[in-house]
Amino acid sequence: MSPAASRFRGLTAKQAMVTVVVVVALSVAGGFVELFFDWHAKRDQVQAQVSQIIGAIDGSSVEAAYQLSPQLAAKVVEGLLDYEIIRTARLLDNFGDLLAERRRDQEAAAKSGLAEFLFGDILTYRRDLVRVEGAGKTEVGRLEIQLSPLAVAHDFYDRAMVNAALGLLRALGIVALVVGIFYAMITRPLLRLAQAVSWVDPSRPGAGLVPTLAGHGHDELGELVDSLNALLASSQRGLNERDTAQAELMALTHDLERRVAERTREVEVANEEIRSLNRILKAENVRMGTELDVSRRIQQMVLPTAAELAGIGGLDVATYMEPANEVGGDYYDILHGEDGRVRFGIGDVTGHGLESGVVMLMTQSAVRTMVTGDEGSAVRVLDILNRTIFHNIQRMGSDKNLTLALLDYRPGPPEGEGDTSVTSHMRISGQHESIIVARHGGRIELIDTMDLGLPLGLVDEIGSFVAEVTVLLRPGDTVILYTDGITEAADDQHRLYGLERLCGVIADHWQDASEVIKDAIIADVKTHIGAQPLYDDLTLIVFKQVEGTEPQRAYLA
Amino acid sequence: MQTVIEGENYSVEWDPTTRTAALKGILRLNGLLEYAPIAQFLSGAVPAGSMTLDLQGLEFLNSSGIAMLSKFTIEIRNRKTVDLRVVGSKAVSWQGKSLVNLCKLMPTLRMDII
Repeated sequence: MSPAASRFRGLTAKQAMVTVVVVVALSVAGGFVELFFDWHAKRDQVQAQVSQIIGAIDGSSVEAAYQLSPQLAAKVVEGLLDYEIIRTARLLDNFGDLLAERRRDQEAAAKSGLAEFLFGDILTYRRDLVRVEGAGKTEVGRLEIQLSPLAVAHDFYDRAMVNAALGLLRALGIVALVVGIFYAMITRPLLRLAQAVSWVDPSRPGAGLVPTLAGHGHDELGELVDSLNALLASSQRGLNERDTAQAELMALTHDLERRVAERTREVEVANEEIRSLNRILKAENVRMGTELDVSRRIQQMVLPTAAELAGIGGLDVATYMEPANEVGGDYYDILHGEDGRVRFGIGDVTGHGLESGVVMLMTQSAVRTMVTGDEGSAVRVLDILNRTIFHNIQRMGSDKNLTLALLDYRPGPPEGEGDTSVTSHMRISGQHESIIVARHGGRIELIDTMDLGLPLGLVDEIGSFVAEVTVLLRPGDTVILYTDGITEAADDQHRLYGLERLCGVIADHWQDASEVIKDAIIADVKTHIGAQPLYDDLTLIVFKQVEGTEPQRAYLA
Repeated sequence: MQTVIEGENYSVEWDPTTRTAALKGILRLNGLLEYAPIAQFLSGAVPAGSMTLDLQGLEFLNSSGIAMLSKFTIEIRNRKTVDLRVVGSKAVSWQGKSLVNLCKLMPTLRMDII
């Protein structure tokens, strides 16, 4: 038996017990009310009976008292004792003397407290006996009657017993009926309901709904079943929704996993691409590194050697070139010719890297070719150089161009020069940075080359812009050639080193040997740059006549 | 004035009403490849008519930049449709000398060094 069922059994017992108590209490109360009315009725009945009895014997009693006849009186009281309810009967004369008395002896001892309590006040009767003669009334005696309480109560007791028995039966009947009806109408359907509920599968509450209880379609139990079914259906819906949500979640999870896997594959592909690009980049870096090495070597390998410079008689020459991290296209050359003639070339190819290096190499070769060919006209030299380089640059598909200044140093004064202090001169052509001449005593002279040419490689025809100037030199004069890497060397505030500061250093060192001047300049430039990277190549040439030599004489000879 | 190109230390601004392109700041780009955006903007700015190139605010221009301006000038010269005026500043040392080349490349160019 399930706990629910036992609980309902318990409910039936409890309900039966309560019904019994209530019905018995009600029956007892009803019995008492009935008894009360019975009691009243009995009293009335007894009093009426006694009155009737007394009325019936009134005549004979008056006669017996009037005649003072004990015999007659005895007959009267005898007659009274025939009535069962009368225990004692006495007849007295008008003097109060007893004429006759009778009592039931056997009942004298029998006493009942309850009967006395119920009927004690109506047990004793006194009747004055009056004789009517004409208009006058004469009191002749007195009749006294004492009733037997047991006899009086006997009937009442019997009725009460019957009443009690009937009441008990009625109560039991009601209890049986009520419990039966309650069981049939409430407990049994509830038990069925409980059983049906116990059969519900918690995982599928909506699968088997609780069946409608027969005969309870439209009452509270029916409503309870409906509510229960609604609850089960709602619960099933909730479960269904949960299942749907769970399924959706699963689907989403699967989708997410699929997408993660997809993304992982994509990432792997991307990673592979990155690795591949990295390899290419490394290769490119190696290539660029190689290219820079090649550029640097090209630049360095065509520079005049120290031995060459040392072999230039009559001139104290110092040179310096430091390529930038990414090699710029600085160019310089010093070519020692016949009769103390020295040809200087200095230039700067735009941009950096291999291409600039190649243009620089090309320029070096072309200049050397022209110098070797000993072309006298500066205009022709620069025009041919420009065209050569311009067309080569066009062929390269490059957009480089370069500044280029050529110096033709010759011992002795130029033709027609009367100043005997002039010991040498130089012809300058081509556009480049201003050329600095530190005169004896430290005076600085700047030779602007802007009007001596145009950058090479920019246009195919520059002849009309080329010009040549002659600069006279005396002992102690120093010439300084440089590229913009020197003057445009920038510090961390982007302040340029500048031509003025360069001239200042030169003026301070004009008396020094070329090497010393060069070192002083480079040291000052490096101080200016500080920790900044070198943006452009640094190129510097310092030369001066060697003291004590007499190139003029050699030239004249 | 609207800024058409902006770099770390420089900017290129354009005023359509006066047809003035102004280069400002410090231009130290590496080679003509890096100058290509500026060159493209300058050559495309004015198809015909007057154009002013204001370089007064350009504190520094390296040799690649000068080459870029030279090539631009040659292009304008060859096009023959643009009346080019270049405004420079005496206060900026590089301009005094370098801008002379532009006049040489294009004799009809008006150069105002203020």
